[in-house]
Amino acid sequence: MTKNFQDEMFDFLSSKGIKNFVGVPDSTLKQFISHGLKSKKIIITTREEEAIGIAVGMLLAKSPSLVFMQNAGFANSLSTITSLIQLYKFPLIFLIGWRGYLKNDAPEHEKIGKIQPELLKTINLDYKVVQNKNWKKMCEWALKKSEKNNSCALVIPREFFD
Amino acid sequence: MIRKEAIEILLETISMEPIVSANGFISRDLFNVHDKSTNFYMIGSMGLSSSIGLGIALKKPKKRIFIFDGDGNILMNLGSLTTIGKLQPKNLIHIIFDNSIHESTGGQPTGSNVIPIEKIAKVCNYQYTFKISTKKEIMEIFKKIKKRSGPILILIKIDKGNGVGERISRTPKNIKEEFMKNL
Repeated sequence: MTKNFQDEMFDFLSSKGIKNFVGVPDSTLKQFISHGLKSKKIIITTREEEAIGIAVGMLLAKSPSLVFMQNAGFANSLSTITSLIQLYKFPLIFLIGWRGYLKNDAPEHEKIGKIQPELLKTINLDYKVVQNKNWKKMCEWALKKSEKNNSCALVIPREFFD
Repeated sequence: MIRKEAIEILLETISMEPIVSANGFISRDLFNVHDKSTNFYMIGSMGLSSSIGLGIALKKPKKRIFIFDGDGNILMNLGSLTTIGKLQPKNLIHIIFDNSIHESTGGQPTGSNVIPIEKIAKVCNYQYTFKISTKKEIMEIFKKIKKRSGPILILIKIDKGNGVGERISRTPKNIKEEFMKNL
C-alpha cells in the first residue's frame, strides 16, 4: 500500500472513532505509523503482546482501539490472542504488515509469511487483505466487526523490496 | 507473610477501586479474599496484567488503578516497565507479590531473589518504588502514597503459600462485562 493511501486510511479510522493505535513498528506500515505519530494517537510498545494488553485496558475503559504489528509479531502473539482477546471477546482490530508475501522477500520471512492466511484461519480470526484499491471498504468491514463486539484483522501485504 | 494475607490487608484499603490481577494463584487468591465487580481477573496471557492496567490508567486518569502482579509475570514482560515509565500514568499503582518462584507450576525459581525488580522500575522512571515484607509496612506505605503521583511500584516479598484457593468460578464474559459496567 502506498503512502497517500496509508495516510488516508489512518485518518479514516480516526474519524470513525478509533481512539488508540498501539503496536510495534513495521516497515510495511511505516507511512501509517509516521502519519499517526503526528496526531499523538499512537503508542509504540516493546512487544506485540504488550500492545495487545494495553489495547485491552483501553477497551475495558470503552475506548475503541487498534493494534498494529508485523506478521512475525502476530505469530508471537497467538496465545495472547486466543487466551485474552478471543476468550473474553474483546472487539480489537489487528492491522498486520505481511512480510513473506512476495516470493523473494528476506529469507527469515519466508516460512511464516507463507502460512499467514492459514494461521489466521486456524485461530478463527476473520481477516481481509488490504490494498490500494479496496482499503476503505475493508476498513468499513473491520469497523462494523468491532461495533458488533468481534475482533478481526486487516492484513497489508508488503509489495515492495528495499 | 503469604500472598493471601498480603491481599487481605491490601483489600481493606483498596476496597472497591479497580484491580487488574495476574494469572495463576494471584487472581485465585484475590477472588477468594474479596471477589468484586471491579476486579479484572486475567486468567490467561501471562505477563500482561501490567499492560492491561496501563491501558486502563491512561483512559481513566481520575481513578487510581491497581495492578496485582507477580515476579514471574513481570519478568515475562519487562518491557512493560519501560512503557509505563515512558508514559508516566500518575494514577497507576503497580503491586508485585514477589516469592521468587513460579508457585503455580511447582515452585521453580524465577531469579528475583538475585535481581531486584524494584530497582529496574526505579531506573525505568517510576516516581516511587518500595520494597516491603510486613503487614505493618503495607499499611504505612498506603498512608504515604495517598497524595503521591505515580507510577508507583510496591514490591511485597512474600513466602510460599500453603495450598491453593478455589478456581475463579465466574466466566470471562462476566468478568469483563461487570468490570466495564463498574469502572
